[in-house]
Amino acid sequence: MLYREAGQFKTSYAADQQLFPIRQDRIGLIVLLAIAFLGVPLLASEYWFSAILIPFLIFALAALGLNILTGYAGQLSLGSAAFMAVGAYAAYNFQLRVEGIPILVSFICAGLTAAGVGILFGLPSLRIKGFYLAVATLAAQFFIVWCLTKFPWLSNNSSSGVISTQKLMLFGHELNTPVEKYLLVLSIVVFMALGAKNMVRSTTGRAWMAVRDMDVAASVIGIRLMPTKLLAFAVSSFYCGVAGALYAFCYLGSVEPDGFSLEMSFKILFMIIIGGVGSIMGSFLGAAFILLLPIFLDIALPFFAGLVGLPFSSATVSHIQILVFGALIMFFLIVEPHGLARLWQIAKEKLRLWPFPH
Amino acid sequence: MNFFFEVLIGGLLSGVMYALVALGFVLIYKASGVFNFAQGAMVYLAALSVVGVMEWGAPLWLAVILAFTIMTLFGIATEKFVLRKLVNQPPIALFMATIGLAFFIEGLAPMVFGSEPRALELGIVDEPIPWILDNWNMVISKFDLVAAGVASLLVATLALFFQYTRIGRALRAVADDHQAALSIGIPLQNIWAIVWGVAGFVALVAGMMWGARNGVQFALTFTALKALPVLILGGFTSVPGAIVGGLIIGASEKLAEIYIPPVMQDLFGGNFGGIEGWFPYVLALLFLLVRPEGLFGERHIDRV
Amino acid sequence: MSKKIGDVILDLQNISLRFGGVKALTDISFNVKEHEIRAIIGPNGAGKSSMLNVINGVYHPQEGKIFWHGNERKKMEPHMAAQQNIARTFQNIALFKGMTVLDNIMTGRITKMKANFVEHALWFGRARKEELEHRQKVEEVIDFLEIQHIRKTPVGRLPYGLQKRVELARALAAEPSMLLLDEPMAGMNVEEKQDMCRFILDVNDQFGTTIVLIEHDMGVVMDISDRVVVLDYGKKIGDGVPDEVKNNEDVIKAYLGAGH
Repeated sequence: MLYREAGQFKTSYAADQQLFPIRQDRIGLIVLLAIAFLGVPLLASEYWFSAILIPFLIFALAALGLNILTGYAGQLSLGSAAFMAVGAYAAYNFQLRVEGIPILVSFICAGLTAAGVGILFGLPSLRIKGFYLAVATLAAQFFIVWCLTKFPWLSNNSSSGVISTQKLMLFGHELNTPVEKYLLVLSIVVFMALGAKNMVRSTTGRAWMAVRDMDVAASVIGIRLMPTKLLAFAVSSFYCGVAGALYAFCYLGSVEPDGFSLEMSFKILFMIIIGGVGSIMGSFLGAAFILLLPIFLDIALPFFAGLVGLPFSSATVSHIQILVFGALIMFFLIVEPHGLARLWQIAKEKLRLWPFPH
Repeated sequence: MNFFFEVLIGGLLSGVMYALVALGFVLIYKASGVFNFAQGAMVYLAALSVVGVMEWGAPLWLAVILAFTIMTLFGIATEKFVLRKLVNQPPIALFMATIGLAFFIEGLAPMVFGSEPRALELGIVDEPIPWILDNWNMVISKFDLVAAGVASLLVATLALFFQYTRIGRALRAVADDHQAALSIGIPLQNIWAIVWGVAGFVALVAGMMWGARNGVQFALTFTALKALPVLILGGFTSVPGAIVGGLIIGASEKLAEIYIPPVMQDLFGGNFGGIEGWFPYVLALLFLLVRPEGLFGERHIDRV
Repeated sequence: MSKKIGDVILDLQNISLRFGGVKALTDISFNVKEHEIRAIIGPNGAGKSSMLNVINGVYHPQEGKIFWHGNERKKMEPHMAAQQNIARTFQNIALFKGMTVLDNIMTGRITKMKANFVEHALWFGRARKEELEHRQKVEEVIDFLEIQHIRKTPVGRLPYGLQKRVELARALAAEPSMLLLDEPMAGMNVEEKQDMCRFILDVNDQFGTTIVLIEHDMGVVMDISDRVVVLDYGKKIGDGVPDEVKNNEDVIKAYLGAGH
């Protein structure tokens, strides 16, 4: 009853086209943004920023990138972590070698570099589809990480490719507290998420979805397959690249190529499967879920083991984590293939009637 | 020159091992259209079952039988609880489910059987064959040769099975079109149970071979990833293709690792090692650009 | 009802199409005049869909020439058909199952939209203006085909008959000068067929769209088409107005009367 669209008539197409046509949604979003920008900095502890919120936003951004490529354009990719790596190393190199370059410009350039690499590895998608394309992206994953390790110039001649990021200077002020980093990451992610949402509901997004659903029909209508697919790779890699730069500069501070492993690519893929393939919100929900689950298990498992009296090693915890991930993936695919995003929509549907039964 | 042959043959033999894993993929894909990403994890599970059961005191032959039972039961359970529920979804969903399955196995198996690397003694020693060593000065392992023999036997048997038996034909029908196969009375459930059983057996053989050679450890799961380029070259539905693909990948990987880095290091300096990690994939990628269906794969014509 | 039928706009000469060893079309020549409704009929496997695919560039004939508005067409890519204002529907519905009806029809207007992806990301400005403009046009098509009530429904959930209508809407949204319809009435009941006939005639009447139509229902074909081409085993066996074709011996033997 609280959540109801009755009485909200749209009298123009413009009103119908809004991102959040239902008033309650708009209010909800404003409240959420207020909490994110104002409430959290006042209330959250340092641990929350550094260990939970910042990585959540960064991975949500990467998941967004992957969702654009795999969810909307239908091109399966197992190489998202490699594109994050490109972004991280590119940002580092731009900061290092271009005198006086602003940090935001470095991030943009990092994204563009990743986009370029993405287009390169996206070229096979013009001939290959489905699982075969997944293998091509695996090639990207392994090859890129190998390159970053083997070419010393990229990591300023450090021995195993490790780089330590430079300071974050924004308008002459150095950002070094977790709160400041959080706000920077939050602003960038919100801005890019908005951009993604706009792209996805416009002709760009429709062209991607058409190519995903039936590419022959799409080309007959006039959609050029090559530019559309390559654009998806470019935009997706741009998002992953920026996420990677943020990962290095605002989260870890120092990264190495092996840190952007196949495992991370799978993690991001799981985020979009669980969160909802082809959904912007799903990227956020999935990222939150995947990041919070290990923390939850870390706390809950020893507790349950204590209750039942079973011995528990840390190795077992990590095994259970992997097991639970696998089980959850299968569970979601069987029960709700559209992920948490759909569950959220269903919950909203129920809210229309609550507290009345029907 | 002899060194070249040594590397080549070593590569071919390891390629046969890759082919063993790829075979499991081909079987399942042929019969159910599912690309089973969990095949590597299954190899790991099989190998772990053998050593795990042996650790509990059983002799080798009993361990193998028990492991086979475990694999078959596991396959049936997978089919019943996971795959059957996903029948209506696009193939990509099934593929992602097998990724989930892989993770599930990779978490469960070490929990049950322990995760420390263990050796698996099969009685065949990984030693150079004396008369080859003496006459041609090449190091060719007895073990690798036996593994190659076993794999070839397995492949030949499977190829015949698919081509000439009633069950084999039924499997091919199911792979083509589930609905149509159902409608002519092929019992889908039983067929899939059989397929996963056979795939489990192949995984067991592969697991024992790989485990004896490299030790039973977590790295076994990565063999699945290596099998992917094999499948691309050989085609996803061809049993002989898996062998040929395996041979090509095995040989080229070893040859590339030995011969390319020195050349590149002369040209560019720096340390060029570790090519093995990505070379098979890039090779497969280039191959795909020329021939998207693989050497033996079927040409897919979309009817508009 | 007098309709002005114009000159020849599509001229197919000696078209031959092979797939490996299979000859789909052999030495076929016919033309299509502006504003007419041209039907292609024939038994299953005669090559009718292949013919349509040749016309809009999905298949490339090994032999023969195609003249569009008097100009010889070089090898064509499918998206060029859209640019040349040819739209089509498919035998097995080729809608984008993951999108709503509205979105599907909007894709029909894609060749007319000029904004690039950056403008789309920023939304306010040309992207938004275009979206609203074209939404207007699409709503006109939706009104015309009476599918307002399902515009936000995901296409995959619609019954077959409505999906066919949405596919027609998508083709119409492109404002084509020529419309290729591949068995638009397959699988429909009598009422749905009548509706579809009405729509096709209205399109031809109101917008002057030239229509090339594959259809099995002889009643429909004889009723609404101006001229008919008959194919059998990839060869042309009849060409003319419905009455002529109805009385053609070869056609009767192959298709209408005695079996093979």
